[in-house]
Amino acid sequence: MSKLTRRSFVKAAGGVAAVGLAGCGAASPSIAGNKAQVIVVGGGYGGATAAKYIKKADPNVSVILIEQNKHYYSCPLSNPVLVGMRDLEVQKWGYEGLKKHGITVVHETVTGVDTGAKKVTTAGGVFSYDKLVLSPGVSFNYDAIEGYDEAATKTMTHAWKAGPQTAILRDQIDAMKDGGTMVLVAPPNPFRCPPGPYERASLIAHYFKTKKPKSKLIVLDPKDKFSKFGLFQSGWEKLGYKGKYLEWVPAGEGGKVTRVDPKTNTVYTEMDEFKADVVNVIPPQKAGKVAFLAGVANDKGWCPIDFKTFESTMAKDVYVIGDSSAAAGLPKSGYAANSEAKVAAAAIIASLQGKPAPMPTYVNTCYSILAPNYGISVALVSTLKDGKITKLSGGLSPMEATPAFRHQEALYAESWYQAIMNDTFA
Amino acid sequence: MHLNKKSLLAVAGAMIAGGVAMNADEARADMASGLAMANTCAGCHGTDGMANGPAMPNIAGQPANYLIPVMKEFRSGERYSTIMGRIAKGYSDAEIEALSKAVAGWKWTGGAENPKLAMKTGETIAMVKPALAAEGEKLAKEMKCTKCHEDGGKSTEDDMPRVAGQHLDYLLFKMEDYKDEALKMPQPKKMKKRMDKASAKELEAISHFWAANK
Repeated sequence: MSKLTRRSFVKAAGGVAAVGLAGCGAASPSIAGNKAQVIVVGGGYGGATAAKYIKKADPNVSVILIEQNKHYYSCPLSNPVLVGMRDLEVQKWGYEGLKKHGITVVHETVTGVDTGAKKVTTAGGVFSYDKLVLSPGVSFNYDAIEGYDEAATKTMTHAWKAGPQTAILRDQIDAMKDGGTMVLVAPPNPFRCPPGPYERASLIAHYFKTKKPKSKLIVLDPKDKFSKFGLFQSGWEKLGYKGKYLEWVPAGEGGKVTRVDPKTNTVYTEMDEFKADVVNVIPPQKAGKVAFLAGVANDKGWCPIDFKTFESTMAKDVYVIGDSSAAAGLPKSGYAANSEAKVAAAAIIASLQGKPAPMPTYVNTCYSILAPNYGISVALVSTLKDGKITKLSGGLSPMEATPAFRHQEALYAESWYQAIMNDTFA
Repeated sequence: MHLNKKSLLAVAGAMIAGGVAMNADEARADMASGLAMANTCAGCHGTDGMANGPAMPNIAGQPANYLIPVMKEFRSGERYSTIMGRIAKGYSDAEIEALSKAVAGWKWTGGAENPKLAMKTGETIAMVKPALAAEGEKLAKEMKCTKCHEDGGKSTEDDMPRVAGQHLDYLLFKMEDYKDEALKMPQPKKMKKRMDKASAKELEAISHFWAANK
């Protein structure tokens, strides 16, 4: 398929919808009119939400979601999967729900984005857009830790994109003998899901405590502090993890990892080496690959955006949402991506209608599970003030809370998951 | 503040009368922004306010006369919460009003259960027991809950929140909260009197009735 005007493209897209993805070039009766065309690349928390809320706000806009995978595995709540508290299947979502909203879903890999000609290329064809939403998540810096490359992830998992990696790490933890040692390498800032490595550490400690009490987890961290720091530290104390099942080594005490050897399962810091039965390396991160293809990432590896609309400051009519965006003031979290998607969707609809973008509201709530029935949270409500994303309210669960409070927050974590996944995919 | 209808209406009235925002927040208090703000609630309370359980309340179609004072009570800390207090502090009176109206305009759609909830999870999720729900139905009448929560708890008249068809764990949590003297949950005097008398077992049964009555 080549040389697509918007009109002929809309025809083709209509054809795709009509014949159930028989191919982008499928000839078909045209759908009437000269509809605005929005392409969304990346079907995770950000992209799927954007596609749905654009269609919800204006059913007349034609929306195509391009996502290479047939299914999406949620990272939030994938940590419980690692220790047998949850089935991986519960994390799996498909795109049928979005199709029901009239969104065309194309499962292909994007190979090029031309923001000048406003075209996206895949193996199957060329897609023209009026507005482009990019939500490609994160990619990993494989040159940051010596010895840790893509091949190494087969045995030294990252499990920082849920799915097959989650299953490998789960099976490794399950197979580990009682009395074994596990090493978790935490990433430097900024990275996807700031409390994630520490929730993971908590649940592994819980698993050791209850199932393999002679085992220990060592967390090697290139930082001296992290998200929900006090709540995690006090939780590790209260739950009896600290020292016994879980040892956290901060940067100041030599936690920075410089090299790994996948052959011997050894992790090297500047002053020490750790040979372990299971090694989990969460590598340093940058914007997803498509952001680099489109040329909308800066020299730091993230995508600068206008905080009111999430439109890229490097390419017109391109909106970058979710973990890839350099959204100072918002965490790289699923909820933030969902919230950014709605802001971008509203801005896109307004722009297509020739109206100014509405004032944005950004919300983030994030729960972490430290043990069954022990949850903690952080919340954030923010808006645009003086051109910056500015916090209006939020904060952490109280340090001193009753068991009932922690129990409620654990169940709210599950409720959060059910609600946001349905808001995103159903 | 106790939420009897009279005082509530007075408060709501005062808010509408005095609700002229004098600050920059006014920019988020129009209809479009009300909906934009309400849409951010969906991450926990579900698309258009129908939550997918197990412990989160559906908020779709709850009356603005209920939502507005409740949000303000969350904000001031008068109403106990785990997280809503932290969130509500981010909104001015005018914004609370705008987003509450948007939420009130959403339609309660029956609260379909998510099939994924039936799958294995690390948490304990309460399931409705029909026998307990039947007992709860009797109790709700005897204890005169249904005098205000009319139509089997489905009423959204005036300032009455719909309780029928809410998720069970949410109802159980709220009953616990209402019973906990230390939390001093705001509630109408008559309701408090009846709640004080009721046993935990009775309140559990009534929760099952509300949850079952979709």
